Amino acid sequence: MSLTREFSKGIWRENAVFRLLLGLCPALAVTTSAVNGLGMGFATTFVLVCSNIVVASLRRLIPARVRIPSFIVVIASFVTVVQLGMEAYFYDLHKALGIFIPLIVVNCLILGRAEAFASRNPLLPSVIDGVGMGFGFTLALFVLGAVRELFGAGTLLGVAVFGAGYQPLILMILPPGAFIAMGLLLAAMNRAERLRR
Amino acid sequence: MKEMLRLALVLTLIAAGAGLILSLVEKATREPIAEQRRLETLRALNAVLPPNENSPDQDTVKLIIGQDRRGRDLARTFYRGRRDGHINGVAFTVVAPDGYSGNIAVMVGVDPDGTVTGIEILNHAETPGLGDKIEEPWFKELFKGKSLGNADWRVKKDGGDFDQITGATISPRAVVGAVRRGLEFFKEHRDEIMAPSGRGVQS
Repeated sequence: MSLTREFSKGIWRENAVFRLLLGLCPALAVTTSAVNGLGMGFATTFVLVCSNIVVASLRRLIPARVRIPSFIVVIASFVTVVQLGMEAYFYDLHKALGIFIPLIVVNCLILGRAEAFASRNPLLPSVIDGVGMGFGFTLALFVLGAVRELFGAGTLLGVAVFGAGYQPLILMILPPGAFIAMGLLLAAMNRAERLRR
Repeated sequence: MKEMLRLALVLTLIAAGAGLILSLVEKATREPIAEQRRLETLRALNAVLPPNENSPDQDTVKLIIGQDRRGRDLARTFYRGRRDGHINGVAFTVVAPDGYSGNIAVMVGVDPDGTVTGIEILNHAETPGLGDKIEEPWFKELFKGKSLGNADWRVKKDGGDFDQITGATISPRAVVGAVRRGLEFFKEHRDEIMAPSGRGVQS
C-alpha cells in the first residue's frame, strides 16, 4: 500500500463523482459555473480531510456500535465551521453556494471515506486518502461546472469565450443541463477507460 | 449495562468536544459575519439612495406593516439618508411573493416626495438567463424618476410603462408590483417615516 497510490486513486480510478457516482447531489446542484464547482470542491475537501484526521485518530476509542453517529457529529461540526468561516471571510461565495454548504453533511462521499477508510487506517494514509479523494471531487466539480458554464453562459471563470455573437444554451445552466452534462462526461470517461485497457 | 454506559460516555464526549470547538468558532466569526451583513445592507442602501452624509443604517424607523399567518406583527425598517441634517432619501425593502420561483427581495430608495431614486435586487431565485435579468442595470434604471403620479405601474404587456424581459414577464411584473405597493405604503405613512425622531416602533 503506497501513499502515492492512496492519493492518485481518488483522482481517476476511484473518482467520487465519475467512477463511484457518490456525492451527486452537490455535484449536480451547484455546478452552474466553474467557480461554484471549485468553491464546493474545496469546502468538501476541507471537511473530508478534517473528518478523516479526527476519525483516524479516534478510531480505537470509538466503539463500533456508535461509530456512525460519532462520524456524523464530527462531520457536521466541520461543516458548520466551513459555513461560518465562509460567511465571515468569503461572503460572495457564501451567497452563491448558500444552502448547499450545510448539505455537505449528507454527502455520502465523506461518511463513506470515514467508514471505509479512515476508521480502519492510521492517520497519515487517511489524510492522503482525504486529500486525494477531495482533489478528485473538486476536479470533477470544476470540469462539470466549466462545461456547463461554457455552453450555458458562453464564459469560462467569468471570461467571455465565444464572443458577443454566441447565443447561450441556457438549458445547460438549468437543472436538466446538469444531468445532460454529467451523462455526456460519464460516457466520455467510460470510453476513455475502455481505450486505456 | 457496562457496555451501554461506555457507548453513552464516548458519544457524550465526542458531542461535548464538537460543541466546544463550535462555540469557539462561532465566537471568532460572529463579528466578521455581522460586519459582512452590515456592509451588504450599506452597499444596497448607497446604491438606491441619493448621496448622503449620515449612516442610513443607523437612522431607522420601524413600522408594522401587517400580521403574518400566526398573527405576529411584521415590521418593515425604513432607512433614512440625510444631507445637511434633512432627510433627502428613504430606503426600504419590499418582497415580491409572486415571482417565478420564490420571493424576490427588493430594496427601494425614494426621495421625500415619493419618487424612486433607485432599486436594488437583494435576493431572488429566478431562472438563470431569463428571470434573473431583473438584476441587470438597464432594468433597475427603468424605475429611476418614477413615482405613483407619473407612471403606470404595470409592465408594458399589461398596458403599463415598464419594459418586460423577453421570455420572462413574470419576474418583472412581480418586481413592478412590489415596488408599487412599497410606494403606496410610503405615501400613506410618509409622516411617520419622515418624523424627526421616528414614531411607531423605535429601533
